[in-house]
Amino acid sequence: MTARLAIGFAWLAALAAVLFLAVPLLTVVAASVSPTPVFDLPLEGASLRWYARIGRLDGFWPALSLSLQIALLSTAIALVIGTLAAIAIVRGRLPGAETLATALVSPLMMPGLVLGIALLQYFRAVGFTATWSALLLAHLVVTLPYVARTMIAGLALFDFTLVEAARTLGCTYAGAILRVMVPALAPSFLTAGLFSFLASFDNYPVSIFLTDVRTKTLPIKMLQYIEEAPDPTLAALSTLILAATVILLVASDRLIGLHRMAGTSE
Amino acid sequence: MTAPDAPPHVAVRRVSKRYGPLTVLDRVDLTVDRGELVTLLGPSGCGKTTLLRLVAGLATPEEGTIAIAGRDVTRVPPHRRNVGVVFQSYALFPHLTVAGNVAFGLSVRGRRRDEIDRAVARTLSLVRLEHLGARRVSALSGGQQQRVALARALAVEPEVLLFDEALSALDRNLREEMQVELRRLLREIGATAIFVTHDQDEALTMSDRIAVMNGGRIEQLADPKTLYERPATLFTLGFVGQSTRLRGTVAAAGDGMVAVDTPVGRVAAMGQFLAGSSVVVATRPEHLRVVADTVGHEGSDRARNSVDGRIRAVIFQGSRSRIEVAAGDQVLLAEAPGRIASALNPGDAARLVWPVAETFAYPDPEARA
Amino acid sequence: MTATELPAPSPVVSPAPDRERWLAIGFAGPATLVLVVLFALPLALLFTASVAGPAGLTLSEYEKLATPHYLGVIWNSLRLALLTTGIAFLIGYPASFALARARGVLRSVMLAALFLPLAASVIVKAFAWTILLRSDGLVNTVLIALGIVDEPIRMIFTETALIVGAVNIFLPFMILPIYAVVAQLDHRLVEAAATLGASPVVAFVRVVMPLTLPGIIAGVALVFSLSVSAYVVPTLLIGERYPTLSTTIAKAFLLARQPGFGAAAGVVLLAITLTAVALSARLGRSGGSR
Repeated sequence: MTARLAIGFAWLAALAAVLFLAVPLLTVVAASVSPTPVFDLPLEGASLRWYARIGRLDGFWPALSLSLQIALLSTAIALVIGTLAAIAIVRGRLPGAETLATALVSPLMMPGLVLGIALLQYFRAVGFTATWSALLLAHLVVTLPYVARTMIAGLALFDFTLVEAARTLGCTYAGAILRVMVPALAPSFLTAGLFSFLASFDNYPVSIFLTDVRTKTLPIKMLQYIEEAPDPTLAALSTLILAATVILLVASDRLIGLHRMAGTSE
Repeated sequence: MTAPDAPPHVAVRRVSKRYGPLTVLDRVDLTVDRGELVTLLGPSGCGKTTLLRLVAGLATPEEGTIAIAGRDVTRVPPHRRNVGVVFQSYALFPHLTVAGNVAFGLSVRGRRRDEIDRAVARTLSLVRLEHLGARRVSALSGGQQQRVALARALAVEPEVLLFDEALSALDRNLREEMQVELRRLLREIGATAIFVTHDQDEALTMSDRIAVMNGGRIEQLADPKTLYERPATLFTLGFVGQSTRLRGTVAAAGDGMVAVDTPVGRVAAMGQFLAGSSVVVATRPEHLRVVADTVGHEGSDRARNSVDGRIRAVIFQGSRSRIEVAAGDQVLLAEAPGRIASALNPGDAARLVWPVAETFAYPDPEARA
Repeated sequence: MTATELPAPSPVVSPAPDRERWLAIGFAGPATLVLVVLFALPLALLFTASVAGPAGLTLSEYEKLATPHYLGVIWNSLRLALLTTGIAFLIGYPASFALARARGVLRSVMLAALFLPLAASVIVKAFAWTILLRSDGLVNTVLIALGIVDEPIRMIFTETALIVGAVNIFLPFMILPIYAVVAQLDHRLVEAAATLGASPVVAFVRVVMPLTLPGIIAGVALVFSLSVSAYVVPTLLIGERYPTLSTTIAKAFLLARQPGFGAAAGVVLLAITLTAVALSARLGRSGGSR
């Protein structure tokens, strides 16, 4: 009896959580087709005109382009150096491997804002003023922990005998890595890439201190729009970003399964 | 097997391997003839897997040479050795299908598509998996995965097949089935194979010859029958099969025989020692005959040993029973067919009789003169 | 029939220079360089800046933080974090159990409902709450329709709005670590407890709770450190009325040009999150070693 009551309560909490989490996302979608500029809800009629106005938002295209560049590049670099480090940690006879593993994921524990002001002062102190490069380097610190965490976990489960098997079957060492290890670790690469891309693309608290008047990432631009003139155009833009996220998630789910990501993502 | 003067197919000469301060293999010699199945048998840490890895090219020896089919391959990387390895974990590529795994070696060698397809089909039918080619390897049972691993190694038509504890992950029944099937298959295709295992039954069942390894050395290299019946060292005796042992001192010696004073009396054994040497005399339990009637003294003579004692336990083991006989502070193991054992009861007086020709003396490893 | 005479083991030859070790160091090099140059050094500089005065070392910036106004600001951050963590735990802990029991389509739907908000931009979600909580927003409309209130109540820019938004944004970070542990919980342990005479309540308190403790600790530490340093949520949902450490730091750098003071506030914020992380690591260890 007690047990069944507890299970009922658990399901109730889960239902509440799912609904509660869905509400803001549904709101944004609904507001994006609002016929009037004041987010009239519930809807009376629908309009797609706000979508047409996204492109006319002041400074939208440069911000989108900058965010994509930074997110893609920082993710790519983090994937390479993070994976190499993970191999050294899991596999190699590396002195202090455990310390390095802890250090690599430690920026995750750190408030983004603190990293932002630390880098701001640091770049000023060493006279580094190139905004674009500063953003890229900062986002490398943001993305590297995600890659390191996922790849260390993935490699720890990887059976390195597979590489040996490939070598005895005729592969060179490099060939064995490329033909066996990389494909076998594809789920980990995908998870790591997805997490770090999203972390970079959505980052606000680090970027805010490193942008200038002309170089702004999309999240910064969006917060500015919301504070200056909130209208359903922003809801339309948010809906598009959500849609892109959904597509990414569905694709990942098809490829590797979300429950596996839930397992590896702490 | 080939003519006696044919060169060995695999020749390991005075090979040593060290990891830091640890000597894992110490000047090991081993030859395997074409079409022969040799097993490396020993406890974990004896160096058997290391020896296999050296032959595969996955490790390089500090000294010594390894030749396969007359070619010195000591410094040749694994991908140019043409060996087939079946790993303990199978090491099947999870991102490939069954057919993809089997085709891997040929595809790396750049063979033509149709040639690969034919070879894959042929090899899969050899291991009786022809219907599972399109399956993902994770969807297979342990036994099926084992066959895929074997097929993958066979497909490249290697000079030598290497098995690293290849059957140890299977459960008992399946393992025994696979032992018989694998031996039949390897015979059929005339494969030269080296088999690593710590399971003595597996070694006895499968091998043409067995190399018993201990502490980085080969203790004895012999066919299963010789190994079991004439173990050269106390280690081999203990590792392969059961034994009854008695510690003692040589009282008299001559003619390749010794008379040894043991805690249960004088026992004769085969061996050459000086009088006064500390030895261990041992025999297989199946040679010890239990005589329930101790009346009438037969005594030891030049052909038979005889010890009186009391039955401590009779352990039923199916077709045979194991009998523990206490004599003084020693416990001797004997074996008897069920119908004889059923007449024996713990506490009964009993006499053990066994032939001197099946009793061997070894230097006592614990006595340091 | 005697054992073959074995020669003594040969003297140990020192191994060739350890190539693997150098390879490992080469592999770890680039990431370590990033960590040192772009993480450790900037943090060291931040700390230095917080105690650097015109005439050598000074604690004057920290003294400013010790005034009643800024102590209130620190308390605001802690209060936000404590409330958010507590409420997220109360919802998230039972929800994790339901999630772990779910199978098939239901599980996929629930996981998607967790992952999508996690992946969705914080700004998008905070923006949605500004729409929902406006006086003519959906929440008020529903409350009036249900007859709970007569006229729209003011919600946006209140502490309620702040906490609702923060719980909403950080809830997945509570559920996922707990779910990961609960999903691996061996149900036979509960059955074993029952066979040993434990009632469901006793089995839960003595078996299930301790086993899920690592997940709880991880979730609580994560949500606490995320919410104590939240910036976008307080900015959009409550604004100037509720200054936190984060908004204070941002203001010191972006508006007031007081980098020394901002650095000191940053160090305090860092100290709070590191304390939470260290505490959770310690609790997790002692919990795991039992």
